[in-house]
Amino acid sequence: MLVLGKIIAVHSYKGGTGKTLLSLNLSATFAEHGKKVCLFDLDFRAPSLSTLLKIEKSEHWLNDYLNGVCEIDKVLIDLSSRVHNGGQLFVGLANPSTEAIRDMSAKDRKWEMRALGRLLALRTSILGDKGFDYLILDTSPGLQYSSINAVVSADLVLVATTFDRSDVDGTRRMLRELYDLFEKKTEVVLNKVLDVSSRTGKEDVQTKLKDIYQVPLLGIVPCFCDVLKSEGGVIFAQEKPAHPFTKILEEMANRIDGIA
Amino acid sequence: MEKAAVSKQEVLAKRPMQVLEKIRENLERLNEKMEIMIELQKHGKKDLQQPLPDAPLDVMTLLSMPDHLRKTAMSLCRMGRATAEEISLQTKRARAVESAYLNQLVIMGYLKKERNGRKAYFFVDKENQGVSLG
Repeated sequence: MLVLGKIIAVHSYKGGTGKTLLSLNLSATFAEHGKKVCLFDLDFRAPSLSTLLKIEKSEHWLNDYLNGVCEIDKVLIDLSSRVHNGGQLFVGLANPSTEAIRDMSAKDRKWEMRALGRLLALRTSILGDKGFDYLILDTSPGLQYSSINAVVSADLVLVATTFDRSDVDGTRRMLRELYDLFEKKTEVVLNKVLDVSSRTGKEDVQTKLKDIYQVPLLGIVPCFCDVLKSEGGVIFAQEKPAHPFTKILEEMANRIDGIA
Repeated sequence: MEKAAVSKQEVLAKRPMQVLEKIRENLERLNEKMEIMIELQKHGKKDLQQPLPDAPLDVMTLLSMPDHLRKTAMSLCRMGRATAEEISLQTKRARAVESAYLNQLVIMGYLKKERNGRKAYFFVDKENQGVSLG
């Protein structure tokens, strides 16, 4: 079967770098561009997509799919009614209950191996059979089983990073010791950047980043007060099409289309 | 009577073909064993250290593997079940090289191998894996 879609994992070394906001808004941007997109919350230790999307209950969670309890069809929630330009947006959520989080934290290596098998099978089911253009995986930060499984399953890894010194150091190590070993196509997104209003400021940041990470830079996202004030409750790509953050997301989406 | 004679002739005609096929299969097996020996000489025995009993082929195991074996194991994880020829198309390495690496992974306990006629198929141990890798 010819599979044309791509799997993108959004990962970071540290927490709080904006992975979920980036994953959600990038998915919405692709959908607004008329694509068929699926977004999965694979952050089983701190699920947040259900809160951001204001979905309190789901019949089946991604936890159930990875546990082998149900097929992936049961997990998908259709949010296409929120998309304006004929695109389609589906999500799969991680179970946010404390019991589920505890259960997922106690899995053994054999379970993680089966989970990898199930994630790899998504290429056939989601991209192949269902014809999605993009499957975006929002992961847990750092070197955890669930996030490495997602990275291994992906065609492209987007690394969300900030200029925090420990984040820079850890991200650099992760690029060398994880992504390079799995020969992953990787792009960096620098988030929450202060002072990139001038052109020279932006160029300085770009040069600095390329020197540090030695991988392509997908985009620089300035620290927008509007984004922080929205407390994650606004999907900018859908609700604020003229906002500079939305424009940056569109540039990123176009660039990813080019890569893919 | 005539019919019986024809059938006997057919059996006799097939016999050399069967013998040749058996020889070819044995030569293939011998070839695989030689490939393993060559790999052992090249990389030393350290790659073939036995894993813990029942150690699964998970991402942490993949990370700790030598680069040449990881590439092969990753391709097989993606394909689920494949011949050395099919893996070599993915990795762009020679079939014989992939055959040797796959056999190493079998010896290490991470993969299983089974023959279907002339072809040898490699796959992740279903008992451990539990699901198809699709």
